[in-house]
This record gives sequence, structure tokens and C-alpha cells, in this order.
Amino acid sequence: MRRENAGQIRILEAFFSALVIFSAFAVSSNIPVSQNASRSSDLASIGLQALMKLDFDGSLGQYIDDRNWTGLREVLGVVLPEGTSFNLTVYNEQMVQLNSVVISNGEFGSQTVTCAQYVCVSQGSAFHSYIVRLCLAMAT
Amino acid sequence: MSGDGNMRKISTFRKDNSGQLLIVAALVIALLISSTTVYVYELGKETEVADTQRLDDFFFAIKRATHNAMISSLANVSNGGDSAILTTDLNELAEILRTANQFAVCNLTATPLNDSTYNSGVWLSWNTLGLGVTSAYSDFSLKAYTTETSVESSYAINVTTEIMVSGFYTELNSAEKLVNLTAVIHDETGPALAQNMSIQYENAGEWITVDSSNLSITDYGNSTYSMLFIVSTASGTIPVSAQISDLRNIYVRANTTCPST
Repeated sequence: MRRENAGQIRILEAFFSALVIFSAFAVSSNIPVSQNASRSSDLASIGLQALMKLDFDGSLGQYIDDRNWTGLREVLGVVLPEGTSFNLTVYNEQMVQLNSVVISNGEFGSQTVTCAQYVCVSQGSAFHSYIVRLCLAMAT
Repeated sequence: MSGDGNMRKISTFRKDNSGQLLIVAALVIALLISSTTVYVYELGKETEVADTQRLDDFFFAIKRATHNAMISSLANVSNGGDSAILTTDLNELAEILRTANQFAVCNLTATPLNDSTYNSGVWLSWNTLGLGVTSAYSDFSLKAYTTETSVESSYAINVTTEIMVSGFYTELNSAEKLVNLTAVIHDETGPALAQNMSIQYENAGEWITVDSSNLSITDYGNSTYSMLFIVSTASGTIPVSAQISDLRNIYVRANTTCPST
């Protein structure tokens, strides 16, 4: 009986082995995706916190009110961690881009880019709100 | 004969143990798969924590925006704007937050305080002798949610600038008096600084602004300011008004009467 079924058992074993190998591939393929998601979320959090830090005393709104894009680029370079590439875009409530110059410290290249969006309200006596989009990439 | 017997024993041993070897191999493979699954699950949890962290950041960002909006509105109202501007600005902000394509969907509801002191969330008390208060207060309800998680929170924001003024004068001669005025400024967090300061005194029913060339201001750096100026009045007491704008451009003033030393 056993000898008669030996061929079928070998086929089942081969099928099972293939299943094990493919499932291992399927499971392990998720690992780098999760790591990337976590890293990307960290970077977005860093960006949001940097913008909040700038906005704590109303400086961010003041820079935008004054259209001081150079000052904004310099101060962002200070508050963001070293080795971070950034590109900031400022929009008004109608999503019209306000910054006439690029607020960036360089090209992103092939790095993974993460963006954080922040609603900034100026502390000036006339109500002005801006939507600030900060894209970040960590140098590898 | 003996060698043939040994060969048969080895063959029998291999055949007898082949099932056990398969079970051990299956267990090892199962262990590998399980540990990989646990590892992936742990990574997934880290991502979830990161998402919650990001939502917390988002929540604080919204709170900062509402705080700034209240500062802006109070600066407007205290400089002569309509007190309804606070409600208008907060509603506009809520609309912007609703429509802006952000990390999370956000629903903000602002309820400016209305009670015996606050009107539409604004309180301007500039008539009390020696004390002036400019304040705004509003309650907020925020619901922010993503596909993964959500935050629902209620909070209140108070923005206040307050000035306390006291003083006295010393008679220099029959026509001139040296007024010594002390002003202390606070905001909702504690001692605050002024960016503009103006002093007026009343002479024969008319308020006269003290000229900057006649005004000596000492800033002690701890929210206390000392002012010296000379006035020409025959009055026995000198009504004085101190008007300041703090660093956020929120205006407040306080009146006091300076007696003789």
C-alpha cells in the first residue's frame, strides 16, 4: 500500500515545500514595506513638529505675511535635523501658491519623499490663514 | 552474515525514523513562519504607534492654529474691531480645516464664551481704576480621524493681556509736577512685554498725550515698566491713562489717579 502511494506522497511533499517557500516569500515581502511606512511617518512627524516650533511664537505666520521666503528657508534649515532635504510650498485658502521662489535646500534625487501639511494662522490683527506643505527626504 | 544483518538494521532505523524527521522539519519550518509572522506583526504595531503619534501632532497643530486665530482676532478687536470678528474668524478657520486636504479629516467646533463678562468670547475691561484687561475665551470641540485611528477632544483657549498701573507725583514747582508711574503687564502665561507704550494725562477735562521727549521709560525686563514725565497742571490729583500693545499687538489700557507723595 505504502509503496503504491510513494509517488503521490512525493508529489504532496513537493507541493508542500513549494507552498512553504512561497509563503515565506509572501510574508517577508511585507517587512520592508512596514519599515518604509514607519520611517515615512517619522519624517512627517518631524516636519510637522518643526513647523509647530516655528509657529509657536507666530514666526511662521510672520514670515509668510512678510513674504520673507529667504528667511523662511534659512530658519527651516535650522529647525530641521541635519541631513534632511526639504521643499516648502505655501498656499492661501484657495490653494493658490504664494511663494514666488522655491523654498528648498536642494534636490531630493531618488530619495523617498514624505510630505506634511500644516494650517498656519498668522497672529497679525487681520485674519490670514495659510496651508503650508512641507516635503522632506532624509539623506541616505 | 553479520555485515548483512548490520546493513538491514541501519536500513530499518532510517525507515523507522523518517516520519520523526519529517515532523521535526515541519516544526522548524512552522517555527520560522511563526517568528516571521510575529516580527511582521510587531512592525505593524510600530506603524500604528507612529500613526497615533502623527495624529497627536496633528491635534497639537490644530490647537496652535486656533490659538493663533484667537490672538489675531483679539488684536483686531482690541484695536477697534468688531467683537463678532472672533466668531467669524474661528468659523472661517473651522471651514479651512474641514476642506484642507490634510493627514486627517478634521471637524472643529468653536463656542466663544458668553457670560456676564465675556461678550462673543471677548472681554475688554479698560475702565477699572489701575487695571485693564483684554481677553478672549472660547471652547473648542475637535474630531479628527484617519482610516486607522481617531482623536476626539474638547479644549478651551484663553488669550489675555492685562496691565496694572499705579503712580504718584512730586511737585516740582507751582506749575509743574513730576509723575512717577509703574506699569506691570501680564498675559495668560505670566509676565509679558510691551512693544508700544503711550501715556496720557488729564488736564482740565482734556486728555493730553505725553510727548516722547518728556517721557522716560525704564524697562526692568520682567514685565515691569517705570515711567517718569513732567506735567503742567494745577490739579491736586492727576488722572493718568497707560496704553500698551503687547508683543502680539493686543492693545490694553488702564486708568489711574496719581496722588501727591
